[in-house]
Amino acid sequence: MQANDVLEPTVRIRDLKKDRVNFVLENVDLAFANSFRRVMMADIPTVAIDMVEVETNTSVLPDEFIAHRLGMIPLVSNNCDEAMRYSRDCTCLSSCQNCSIELSLNVACSESRTMDITSDHLEVILHGGHGWKEDVEDGEEMSKRVPNFGHPVGKGDPDVPPVLICKIRKGQELRLRCIAKKGIAKEHAKWSPCSAVSFEYDPHNRLRHTTYWYETDIKAEWPLSSNKTEEEPPRDDEPFDYNAKPQKFYFEVETDGSLGPQEVVQKGLAELQTKLANLILGLKSQPGDLDGFPGADQVGQQQPNGTNGAAPSGGWGGGGGGWGGASASPGAWGGATGAPATGAWSASPGSNTAGGWGAPTPGAAGWGTSPGAGSAGGAAAWSPQQGGSWGNTSPSHASGWNV
Amino acid sequence: MNAPNRYELFVLDEGEKPVEVSEDTKIPNAATIKILKQDHTLGNMIRAQLLAMPQVLFAGYKVPHPLHPYFLVKIQTDGTVTPAAVLEQACTKLIGTLSSLEAKFKREFSFKDVEGPAVEDPYGTNASGTAWGTGTRDYMDF
Repeated sequence: MQANDVLEPTVRIRDLKKDRVNFVLENVDLAFANSFRRVMMADIPTVAIDMVEVETNTSVLPDEFIAHRLGMIPLVSNNCDEAMRYSRDCTCLSSCQNCSIELSLNVACSESRTMDITSDHLEVILHGGHGWKEDVEDGEEMSKRVPNFGHPVGKGDPDVPPVLICKIRKGQELRLRCIAKKGIAKEHAKWSPCSAVSFEYDPHNRLRHTTYWYETDIKAEWPLSSNKTEEEPPRDDEPFDYNAKPQKFYFEVETDGSLGPQEVVQKGLAELQTKLANLILGLKSQPGDLDGFPGADQVGQQQPNGTNGAAPSGGWGGGGGGWGGASASPGAWGGATGAPATGAWSASPGSNTAGGWGAPTPGAAGWGTSPGAGSAGGAAAWSPQQGGSWGNTSPSHASGWNV
Repeated sequence: MNAPNRYELFVLDEGEKPVEVSEDTKIPNAATIKILKQDHTLGNMIRAQLLAMPQVLFAGYKVPHPLHPYFLVKIQTDGTVTPAAVLEQACTKLIGTLSSLEAKFKREFSFKDVEGPAVEDPYGTNASGTAWGTGTRDYMDF
């Protein structure tokens, strides 16, 4: 590590493809390289299907099985940092175009052969078809999206085989709607932009960080990795240098297509810096240290994970997390209703009437459910899972699945 | 269900302080710093950077329980700087390293052009990439 203070870290990209990058990182500490790896895998936001409402499912697979598969489908998430809000930070009540993407799947088989339902059948619905979305103005996020934002990766590209979701036979049908949300892989691995990250150092095991089991001859029984050419093999009579530190790290970052490899690497480095900057900020705002927030503007803009990311917009965002921060307590909902919630939601607690949500005629101002009374009417399909917008966290009966 | 929201693992509660410094009463120039809603990603990196700094006599970190989303860093310095100050210096240094690395990555990426298709036939099925229903059926070759 001492040497690292003198030597600048260097990087050399050995191979760059559309979905993967292979590079060598030098003159950094093992802990640093490992943190970089971890942050790329678990801290970069992407979009993934998070809730599924099944209207018809006559296929052989049960609803939750399909809902889980849908969640795993990679969706195009370029520039997700700016192009989408976390729904917990959004000012809307359950979901809106700023913090979610609606997709629908409607496939029926009428031929007498097996039919594959794939991710190609998923259609993004712009400006919510059935009025389940709230009437919220477009935020600045909308303008930062790429045209195919939220579409399944590789859709419409004949070179990319689609993801198989289910198979149906004649007379079977699958009809459902999904809400995709932004999240990070610490919450659920479906939000990871990486399908694999390989990380290696010291291919000749000079540092003896590992021991090889062998029968008679290590060298004959253990093939060396392909990175062996990057480093000199140790001479047989070389004494063990117990002070040596790993200096050269071989990475291969393979993405699932939701983000490009360059974006993953760059966002990973940026995310690490944000984490550190927030720590500095936290240290500076310690009581007793009266210089306040001198660097307050150095972070901020991109709602780093792990902070009370300033909620985008006024509304109720007062306290930071705003809506999401209020957590799932039923009181949260009641508290907000007095506010500008508009008459649209006949959200009078206790009016446990209308089945509201999944009902085919959403005309009746939908949401008649009383907060906390998770029971609601017949088809309380969209059980909101996080954000606690309904004060009801239980994944509901009926046909809504939290993925 | 009473399971806490999973985002509580990495989002600070309202009004929650990201850092709490408590000075050690028995060891001179030492402090234990609690960093909330962070994990090994930050902890190990900071620990390593602190150990590389000459003012630091001791630095270690631990995550006391895997279900509790915080870690503790224990720092003892030689008295020239406070533990909190040395932690701040460490973070600043790391940010410097990261931003220089970021610039280098940017340069490297600009040199390299994306070559070739994303994946060459990941399922090993060469037959018609067209979806379902066109006579030849993929996914069946397994």
